[in-house]
Amino acid sequence: MQSTGGHPKYLLCEISFASPNGWQHVEEKKLHRSILEAIQKAHGDFGVACCAVSFAVKYLNTYTGILLLRCRKAHYRLLWSTLAFIHQLGKKETCAITCIHVGGTIRTCQKFLIGYNRQQLLRKLPTCKSEAERTALQEAVRSCTLQEDVVSASEEDSN
Amino acid sequence: MACHERMEDDSGKYERIVHKNGSSYHYLKISLEFEEDTSIRLNSAQFKQLIISSLKQLFGEIGAALPFDVLQFEENTLSAVLRVYNRDLVKVWSALTLLGSYQSEMCAFRVQQVSPFLLALCGNSRT
Repeated sequence: MQSTGGHPKYLLCEISFASPNGWQHVEEKKLHRSILEAIQKAHGDFGVACCAVSFAVKYLNTYTGILLLRCRKAHYRLLWSTLAFIHQLGKKETCAITCIHVGGTIRTCQKFLIGYNRQQLLRKLPTCKSEAERTALQEAVRSCTLQEDVVSASEEDSN
Repeated sequence: MACHERMEDDSGKYERIVHKNGSSYHYLKISLEFEEDTSIRLNSAQFKQLIISSLKQLFGEIGAALPFDVLQFEENTLSAVLRVYNRDLVKVWSALTLLGSYQSEMCAFRVQQVSPFLLALCGNSRT
């Protein structure tokens, strides 16, 4: 197992900004630091010491606003509860972080994310204005469905 | 549901009390000690503020919101009786232990007695 001791937990989160250009300043390092600062504020020295050992930003997608955090399993609740209190990143833009999934591996988080993104596309479908937009979106839904079928087929093969 | 049971030999003065449903509180008898003689005077509000600030340092804003009461405070000896919920006892105790200074004067909390019963703090069976 890892040198950090024990199994980790992965928190799949979504960041939403109040203004559309809030993404300009977001980087993994800055995000890491501001989340640690938030833990320090909410849970003090104890919370930082519990979480900091294996805390890492594993994945950041600034286009979809998806964030994957790693934390020690024993103390992931501290991180989880802190996310609710974050309303600013680096004292710039107002934002909110919502945790959409907690998984034991990156793989389960990825599986969830595929399903989640497809759901988001389906939700966007009724809001389409032009026919071209509509077909493009339908094509996108179909493509990611197909991809998952391939994944599940290969899983069945391996089983 | 308390079961009182007098000890077999009459020589012993103490009475054994068994509680089936324990108290939801713990009581701590603590005192504040300064390293050097100082002119610092605290009232009970400042004393509680000191404990809250050490809770905030160690457990953050969520820790600072733990409910606890200062039942009794003596300004002359700087000793107090605290009442905390059972689930918060460890947190409060560790925050007291890790406190190091008040107004840049070195100080320390001494936890003298801990008991789930307030009555137990009136006597000390260890001396």
